[in-house]
Amino acid sequence: MERTLSNFIRALRNAEVRVSTAETLDAFNAMELVGYRDRAFLKDALSMVLPKTADEKESFSQCFDSFFSFKKFDTDPPDDAAEVSEGANDANEGREDNDGDAEEGGQGAEGRGAGAGGGGRKSKKKKGAAVDESEDEDLGEGEMSAPASNLGKLLIAGARTDLAMAMASAAEAVNLKEIQVFTQKGLYTRRIMEAMGLNDMAREISQLRQSRSTPDRRLGQELKKRREWLREQVRDYVEQQFLLHADSTGRRLREDLLRRVKLSNVEQRNFRLIQEVVFRMAKKLAALHSRRKKVFKRGALNVPRTLRHNMAYDGAIFDLHWKSVKIDRPKVFAICDVSGSVANYARFMLMFLYSLEEVMPKVRSFAFSSDLAEVTELFDRNKIEDAIAKALRDYGGGSTDYGQAFVDFKKNCLDDVDNRTTIIILGDARNNYGDPRADILKEMYDRCKRLIWLNPESRNSWTVGDAEMRRYSAYCHQVEECNSLMHLERIVGNLLRTVQ
Amino acid sequence: MPDIQQIASSVESIRKTFEQHRYICSNQIATAVYLAFHLKKPVLIEGPPGVGKTELAKTTATMLGLPLIRLQCYEGLDESKALYEWKYGKQLLYTQVLKETLDEVLQGAKGFKESVSRLHEFGDIFFSEEFIEPRPLLKALKEEHGCVLLIDEVDKSDHEFESLLLEILSDYQVSIPEIGTVKALAEPPLVFLTSNNTREISDALKRRCLHLYIPFPDIDLEQRIIQARVPEILPELRRQLVNFIHELRGLDLKKVPAISETIDWARTLLLLHTDRLDPELVRDTLNVILKFQEDIVNVQAELTTLTSKATKI
Repeated sequence: MERTLSNFIRALRNAEVRVSTAETLDAFNAMELVGYRDRAFLKDALSMVLPKTADEKESFSQCFDSFFSFKKFDTDPPDDAAEVSEGANDANEGREDNDGDAEEGGQGAEGRGAGAGGGGRKSKKKKGAAVDESEDEDLGEGEMSAPASNLGKLLIAGARTDLAMAMASAAEAVNLKEIQVFTQKGLYTRRIMEAMGLNDMAREISQLRQSRSTPDRRLGQELKKRREWLREQVRDYVEQQFLLHADSTGRRLREDLLRRVKLSNVEQRNFRLIQEVVFRMAKKLAALHSRRKKVFKRGALNVPRTLRHNMAYDGAIFDLHWKSVKIDRPKVFAICDVSGSVANYARFMLMFLYSLEEVMPKVRSFAFSSDLAEVTELFDRNKIEDAIAKALRDYGGGSTDYGQAFVDFKKNCLDDVDNRTTIIILGDARNNYGDPRADILKEMYDRCKRLIWLNPESRNSWTVGDAEMRRYSAYCHQVEECNSLMHLERIVGNLLRTVQ
Repeated sequence: MPDIQQIASSVESIRKTFEQHRYICSNQIATAVYLAFHLKKPVLIEGPPGVGKTELAKTTATMLGLPLIRLQCYEGLDESKALYEWKYGKQLLYTQVLKETLDEVLQGAKGFKESVSRLHEFGDIFFSEEFIEPRPLLKALKEEHGCVLLIDEVDKSDHEFESLLLEILSDYQVSIPEIGTVKALAEPPLVFLTSNNTREISDALKRRCLHLYIPFPDIDLEQRIIQARVPEILPELRRQLVNFIHELRGLDLKKVPAISETIDWARTLLLLHTDRLDPELVRDTLNVILKFQEDIVNVQAELTTLTSKATKI
């Protein structure tokens, strides 16, 4: 049972539930206490020990259900010829044919996974199948001889529990939980079947089929039918285990890739995934920076506090208290170029900033392509995704005019910029050869605490063509290249560190 | 004095005893108490406000007949308020006394060395347990027959305080530099921490605790809770009001009504001698369950539909 529990914890980690070694030990203790007779009880108990947030509890619940659902063979094996009517038999055979097709699919997949060599086997199989089918017809009902191989015995007896146990231990033997990618499913199905004694039975079947006695042949046919049924069950099982053990490995790879990829190249279909990644990154940052910092003004005595605290010492002042200032959360103005070329970057940066609401409650955002407008309200009223979509729709698309945008900014809200404000400008600084109005940027620079310019283009194209970066960067505290989620995370992290 | 071992022998008996104390709970909650008792681990309880997190700790204390020691957390809480403080006044007083009797103490001392060593003994006395003012955490450790320690709203405290808790949570001991390590007496306290999730609790703390999430109860459980808490209310009205509350929880509100509000509402309706919900009545008593004007206005618009949905059989 200990093995099982550690395997389960591995599956949990795979489902992004963070489980430490200490918690693993706790889980063992808990299991020792509650035993594993009562499934619901065990689940409740483990759900207190292993997952530690509401989200994790949900993953845990799913994971527990699929991990500890002992693969019940949901259908009976195709029944004894003696017991079923002709019609049912037909149905069974029909199903068997389907199985055959599915099996070929599986084999094909395996062939792709394991390289060459699959082809020959497949054709051989096909031939076998053809012969079998012609033979299937002429055997009527009647007695059947007893199977010799172990697996055969189990199959004929229809011992579902035993079969399930045999399958589970076979899966253990071939290390099914190491399965990584979906192309391995066929491979593992076959390995499990082999570990269960498929080869013995195959030999038996072929012997039986060539045998002269009808009961023997009947048995052979029956065994074959049941073998197909078993194969289907095993495939189900593998599928299930695959979802449990390997599903997220691929996803993690994909996410890792998405963090690095240039944001303008992200395809529409990945938006959802990126969003999740952004939220997760933002959450991490928020947790890191959620404490309000204090700065101690060394040297300035907090007289009332000192007096109060020294009352206990008969008024002898020896425990001194200094003035300290609680630093408020940063006030951030985000000015985003949402013209065609940079719209995607703006999307993700806004998403990032607004996901950090917990630590940066005072974000005001502005969007422009030529005219600038405040979009803060959009974000207050709508969900982040909708707000971004609306902002991009309403203000995006035009040709960029940084000069005009700065003029608008000055007119509308330069007065709100004070020495606690951080301004982030996101844009490629391509001004279409218009007037850059760097003088306004200088005014902003003088008033604010920090002005950060994020440019999605790589540094060496900052001065090429109509880019005004050289002129603008003189009035920035910091200029950064920013074109992937990783950049974004680093920059926002720095931002939180420095502005607080 | 209730038989603690007997009560804690199974989840079922814990649940039953809770019910006798009018605390109706799901199996999960009872399991948490069971595990906490047997594994000797603290329980971190999370969930929306008003689902009975604090109540759980209180009821456990009454159920087991143990004293409840409560520490309410807030920003700026530090060890001198949570753990211990020196009795400075007493220390000063004793120094004065010592000063006056210094001659007697040093009488007969040969040489400077011996005088100093005699004085040293007094120095140690000033920082002994005699002069310590125990605060809730230390008090809980010193409780002889065990106790229930409730650390309420731990999310309101600072990060530094969380780290302070780690030692007591994992080993049931605290280190006081001048004295050494104080360990829990025979029976370690049963610790409950509650959090409203206003901020993420650190992983280190979570790792040391069992984690119990109490969600809003389902209709059935809530009906039983109302029955236990407001037994005088008519079954039909109880059903209707619980249904109504559940309808409300499905709406997009600033603050959805919690169990405590349901109970308050049930009491209110009882006071008004009503036997069924009708829109007018609900409109007049809406401020018992909704605490934001914005929410009240929103709900009032749909009051008739909601009421008819809730009263439908």
